[in-house]
Amino acid sequence: MATTTKDTDDSDGPLARWTQRAIQNPERVYRALFYAAMAFFLVTTLFPFYWLAVLAVTPEGNLLAGSFLPTINLFGVSGTFPLPVPKGFNPAAFVTVFEQVPFHLYMLNSFALAVTTTVIVLFVASLAGYVFGRLRFPGRALLMLGILAISYFPPAAFVIPLFQAFAGNAPITVPFTDIPLFTPPRLLNTPGSMVLPFSALFMPLSIFILTTFYGQIPDGLEDAARVEGTTRLGALFRVIMPLSAPGVATASVLTFIAVYNEYFFSSIMATSPEAAKWSPIVGGILSYQTQYTTQYNLMAAASIVGVLPVVILVIVAQERIVSGLTSGALKE
Amino acid sequence: MARVRLEHVTKRYDDQGEIVTAVDDMNLDIDHGEFICFVGPSGCGKSTTMETIAGLTIPTEGEVHIGDREVTNLPPKDRGIAMVFQNIALFPHMDVYDNISFGLRLRDYPQDEIDRRVERAADIVQLEGMLDRMPDEMSGGQRQRVAIARAIVREPDVFLMDEPLANLDAKLKVHMRTELQRLHKELDTTIIYVTHDQEEAMTLSDRIAVLNSGSLQQIDPPLTCYNEPDNLFVAGFIGSPSMNFISGTVGESAIETPNFSLAFDPATVEGLGVGDEVTIGIRPEDIYPGEFRNEIRDPSSLISARVDILEPMGDEIFAYMLLAEGETSMDQKQTTNNQLLMSIEPDSEIQEEEDIEVAIDRRNVHIFDSATGDALVHKLEPVGSDTGVTGREAESDD
Repeated sequence: MATTTKDTDDSDGPLARWTQRAIQNPERVYRALFYAAMAFFLVTTLFPFYWLAVLAVTPEGNLLAGSFLPTINLFGVSGTFPLPVPKGFNPAAFVTVFEQVPFHLYMLNSFALAVTTTVIVLFVASLAGYVFGRLRFPGRALLMLGILAISYFPPAAFVIPLFQAFAGNAPITVPFTDIPLFTPPRLLNTPGSMVLPFSALFMPLSIFILTTFYGQIPDGLEDAARVEGTTRLGALFRVIMPLSAPGVATASVLTFIAVYNEYFFSSIMATSPEAAKWSPIVGGILSYQTQYTTQYNLMAAASIVGVLPVVILVIVAQERIVSGLTSGALKE
Repeated sequence: MARVRLEHVTKRYDDQGEIVTAVDDMNLDIDHGEFICFVGPSGCGKSTTMETIAGLTIPTEGEVHIGDREVTNLPPKDRGIAMVFQNIALFPHMDVYDNISFGLRLRDYPQDEIDRRVERAADIVQLEGMLDRMPDEMSGGQRQRVAIARAIVREPDVFLMDEPLANLDAKLKVHMRTELQRLHKELDTTIIYVTHDQEEAMTLSDRIAVLNSGSLQQIDPPLTCYNEPDNLFVAGFIGSPSMNFISGTVGESAIETPNFSLAFDPATVEGLGVGDEVTIGIRPEDIYPGEFRNEIRDPSSLISARVDILEPMGDEIFAYMLLAEGETSMDQKQTTNNQLLMSIEPDSEIQEEEDIEVAIDRRNVHIFDSATGDALVHKLEPVGSDTGVTGREAESDD
C-alpha cells in the first residue's frame, strides 16, 4: 500500500492516476458523483411512471401475451430492446377509467380529506408552533419530546381501538373496568373517521416545521402587531404566519401529499371500497380488480390520473418547499 | 387627557432560577402633553419600564394608569397607545400604505377615513408618493418615518418611542430629532421616549427621567438634571464629557483631597461634620487655566497640574490633566482621583506635557456624600478671602 501511494510517475496503473487527478482536482469527483446520483434518482423515480404509462396504453387483450421487451433486428444483429415498450396503443384507457368506476369521486374523496386535514393540521400546529417557538415555559422540552415520541408510534397501533370507537356500538369505558364514559358517534364511512386520525398522525411533523419558523420571527414584529391592535393570536395569523410562508407551505404540502396518498387507515375506516363511503384513490384503483379479472391497464391509467394533482402541486410549490425544508433543517 | 402614572411598578424575571429585578419600585407621574425621556445606561430598566406602559410586559407588582383608567392588566391594543420600536419593526410583507393603515384596518375604520388619515400622517413625516413601496426598498430614515407615521395615524393618547433614532446615522439623527420636536408641537400628545443618548434627551424633552439599575434616580427638566443632579449617578451620566469626581475628606474649613484642598465651611450643610468622606464634582467647563482666574466671579486658588492629553474638538479643546506626578497606578480609584478634565478655548496655547495651574469656579462645584452618592451642595458659598484653595505644590510639582 505504502509503495503504491508514494509512486506518482506515469508508470502507475489507471486507477492510481485517476486517484491522483481526483485528489488534485476534487471538483471533477464532485461533478461525477452529482451526475451518478442524479442518474440514480431519475431512473428510480421516473422509471415507475414510464412503466405505468406503458401499461396504461397497452390494450387489455395484449397485456399478458408476449414480452414488453421487443426483439429488434438491426442490420442482421438481433437482440432484446432494453426498455419496455407498449404492445399496441390504446389511449382510450384514460377515458374508460372514469366510465367503469366513478374514479373522479375517489379522487375527490382523497382531495377533500387531504384539504380538510391540511387545514386542521395547519391551524392546530400553528398554535402549537407559536407556543413552542415563541414562549418560554417550564416543561417545554418535555412536551416537545412527548409529541416526538407519539409521532414514532406505528399507526397500526391505533387502528383497532379507533375502529371500535368510530363504530359507535359500545360506550368507551374506563380502562380495566366496565364504567362507561361516553358513546362516540358512529363515524365509520364518514370523513370524520379519517380526518381525525390523519390530523393526529401528521401533526407532529408540522409542529416541528412551524416551531422552527415561528421561533425565528423577531419579537419586535409581534410586539408591533400587538401594540397596533391585534391579540397574540391575531399577531400569529396576520404577521407571524405570512412571514413564515416557506415553512407553512412546506408543512401544508407534506401533510397534503401524505393524506392524499394514505390508504391504510381509510381502507379500514371505509368499510368497503365505494366512493360513497369515502374510500380514497387507492380504493378506487383497486376496484378495477374483480374476483376474476385484473385490469392492469386501467389501474395504471388511474394511477397516472390520480398522481397528477400532486405533481402539479409540487411543481407550483417546489421552490418554497425546498427553501422551507433546508432552512428548517439548518436551524433546528 | 392622557396622564401616565406608574405606582410602585416592579418587574422581576426568573432567569434560570436566578431572580433578576429589572424595574424596582418605580413611581412616575407624567402630565398630558409632556415629552419625557427615559435615559440610562444599557440594562437600566428603561425599556422594561416602557414595555410595562405599553402592556407588552405585565409588572410583577404595582399599577399602571393611563388617563383615568387603570390599565395594568389590559392588553396593549386596549391602552390607547402607539409605539415606535428601536428595530423599527415594519411588517416586511406589507407595503407602506398597509403598514401605516394596519391598526386602523384592524379597528374597522371606514375606508375613506383610513385614506384621509394615512395621507395626513404621510404628509407629516414627508412620505408622500412612497405609499406603495415595500419596506425593504426604503432607506433607514424612510423606514423610521413609516414607523412614526404608523404610530401617529392612530391618534393615540400616548406615544411610546423606544430608541427610535438608535439605528440612524448621525446626520439623519439630528434631522429626525428636530422633526420629532415639530411633531410633538403639532400633535400635542404625551410622548415617552427611551434613549441612552443623553444629548437626545437634553434636546428633546420637557423632563428627563434618569434610571439606573431599575430605579428612578431623578426626574426633572433637562437643565435641572444638568445643574442640580440629585446624586453621583445623575451627575456622571448627564453631560458630555462627564463631570470630574474627586474624593476628599471634610476638614475644619476646607475639603482636603490628596492633591489640593478646597475652602469649604462644613457648617453650611446640615448633618455634615469634620472627617466625613465626600466627593467633589466639577464639570470640565467650570475649570479654567490660571490666567483667567480674575474673570471668574468666585474662583478657587490655583491648582497645579500637568497636561496629559489634548483632544481638540474644533469649538473647544478637552485637556486631560494629571494632578500628581508619577501616579500611573493601576488602581482605578487612585487614577480617577488624579485626573481632571478641563474644557478650554480652541485658541489656547497650552501644550501636552506642560505644567500649568488651573482654577475652579466655586459657584459650580457640587459636593456629594461619598457613601450614599446623594448631592449635598450644588453651589459653594463664597469664602471671605480669595484663598479658597491651597495648592499643594510640594506634592504635585516636580
